[in-house]
Amino acid sequence: MMREKKQTGKQKLERKKEIIVESLKLPKDSMLGASIVTVTGSTDAFVENYRGILEYTPETIILQGKTCQISIVGKRLSIDYYTNEDMKISGRIEMIRYHNG
Amino acid sequence: MLQFIQYLKGYVCIRVWGYSPERFMNLCSNHDIFLWNIENHGEYYTMCITVGGFRRLKSIVKKTGTRVAIQKRCGLPFFVPKMKRRKIFLIGLAGSLIFWMWMSTFIWAVDLKGNYSVSNDVFMDFLKENHVYVGMKREKVDIESLEKKIRQDFDIVTWTSAKIDGTRLEIQIKENEVGTGGGAEAGTGTGTAEKEENKAGNEFGSDLIAEEDGVIVRMVTRKGVPKVTVNAEVKKGDILVAGGVPIYNEDATVKGYQYYDADADVYLARSLKKTEALPLNYEQKEYTGREKKEIILGVMEKEAVLRIGKVKYENYDKVTDKKQMKLLDNFYLPLYYGTGANREYVITDKVYTKEEVKSIFSEKLMKIVNGLEEKGVQIIKKDVTINKINKKWQMDMHFQIVEKTGKNVPIVPEADVPAEEAQEEINE
Repeated sequence: MMREKKQTGKQKLERKKEIIVESLKLPKDSMLGASIVTVTGSTDAFVENYRGILEYTPETIILQGKTCQISIVGKRLSIDYYTNEDMKISGRIEMIRYHNG
Repeated sequence: MLQFIQYLKGYVCIRVWGYSPERFMNLCSNHDIFLWNIENHGEYYTMCITVGGFRRLKSIVKKTGTRVAIQKRCGLPFFVPKMKRRKIFLIGLAGSLIFWMWMSTFIWAVDLKGNYSVSNDVFMDFLKENHVYVGMKREKVDIESLEKKIRQDFDIVTWTSAKIDGTRLEIQIKENEVGTGGGAEAGTGTGTAEKEENKAGNEFGSDLIAEEDGVIVRMVTRKGVPKVTVNAEVKKGDILVAGGVPIYNEDATVKGYQYYDADADVYLARSLKKTEALPLNYEQKEYTGREKKEIILGVMEKEAVLRIGKVKYENYDKVTDKKQMKLLDNFYLPLYYGTGANREYVITDKVYTKEEVKSIFSEKLMKIVNGLEEKGVQIIKKDVTINKINKKWQMDMHFQIVEKTGKNVPIVPEADVPAEEAQEEINE
């Protein structure tokens, strides 16, 4: 019960933050820690603003963002480079999915 | 560019396996260790890492419980020590570099462009005489004096340009398009030179005389006293315009002469006869289709011909296609290669048909007419007859033409009029 309350409190805080950022027209990626995924065609994807890799197989790459998890599903996926700032994924991308929470 | 920098700095390709390779990658990125080409091979991962990053892996490996093994070392820092062990190879490499640099200090090809009447062989002989040859040192080519020498030795060459392009000496020439020999209009350049010569050589000026027999059609006199008029008939050597202009006394007697170089445009109408002959028969080469091929290999001026068996044909033409080897675009080497073909032919006697004779003669006629027109000659009338005379075909051409005439001839003054006196009187 307590836990649920805490979560709703956290969510409320996030909501408020979002409203402020939106009304002030501040960049969301730096203020809210939102991840940026840039997909070129269906073969390349650049990802910025993430915490790390959770899983890496040729079929799925799951990344931990600051607010959510991003999973990239496809075939023959590989990571061209990987730094603290950004990474590049290449292969045949079939689906990109976000898991909140 | 990035790959080049990575190559310079050196990197290693590693294989990672164990408990949590993903955590290994995350820790690497947190420690600012750059990873690239990360691939999953099922049980293990392969990736590339900088040498500096690899040295800092120890603590990460311990934390994540993974194991790391080097698969490949790449880049300059690894290449240099490897090369140090292969001394002979290095010496060979350096030797070949020096050899090529040394070879590039010679001229290995001479190219001639823009020559139509001066043949390549004549020009090459001329170059040889002037110590310019294939295989000479590049620095010994004195381009300016070579250009000057070409212009001096070949009168027909009006412009030259020589340049060294890699190991090739490129000579471009421009020939005088208006031929220097003969023709009324053709010799304008030499004509003025002649006039100047006359001025310098003869203080009494010059007369203009007719070069051919004919009738004057038009005439414009610029300097001198005209001796003939339009429609007058003149003979070769007649004075058209006299250079001596008389000065009269008050009683209309001649006091003396003032001398000039006669200058006038005189157009003369005359007839011109030309004949062309053609034998009844001619020999024609007929290729039998049989040929023997060969391969040609050459070094400098020596050649080797590779052929199976001998050429047994009685009559044959040899066609060769030779190429010079070069590196890149301009580095010509003294090595040649090519193919040759010996083609057999049979000579057969043939008789010209009337149509053939007609077409050959009409071609010749066209050439003559064009040649005359190029010289500025106007053709008024032409009669052409083709006959079979003395076992020969003969074409008689009868032209009525109008051409410019006039040649300057120095005046020889009469002995009884002393030049000085005449001069003084004029001064008065």
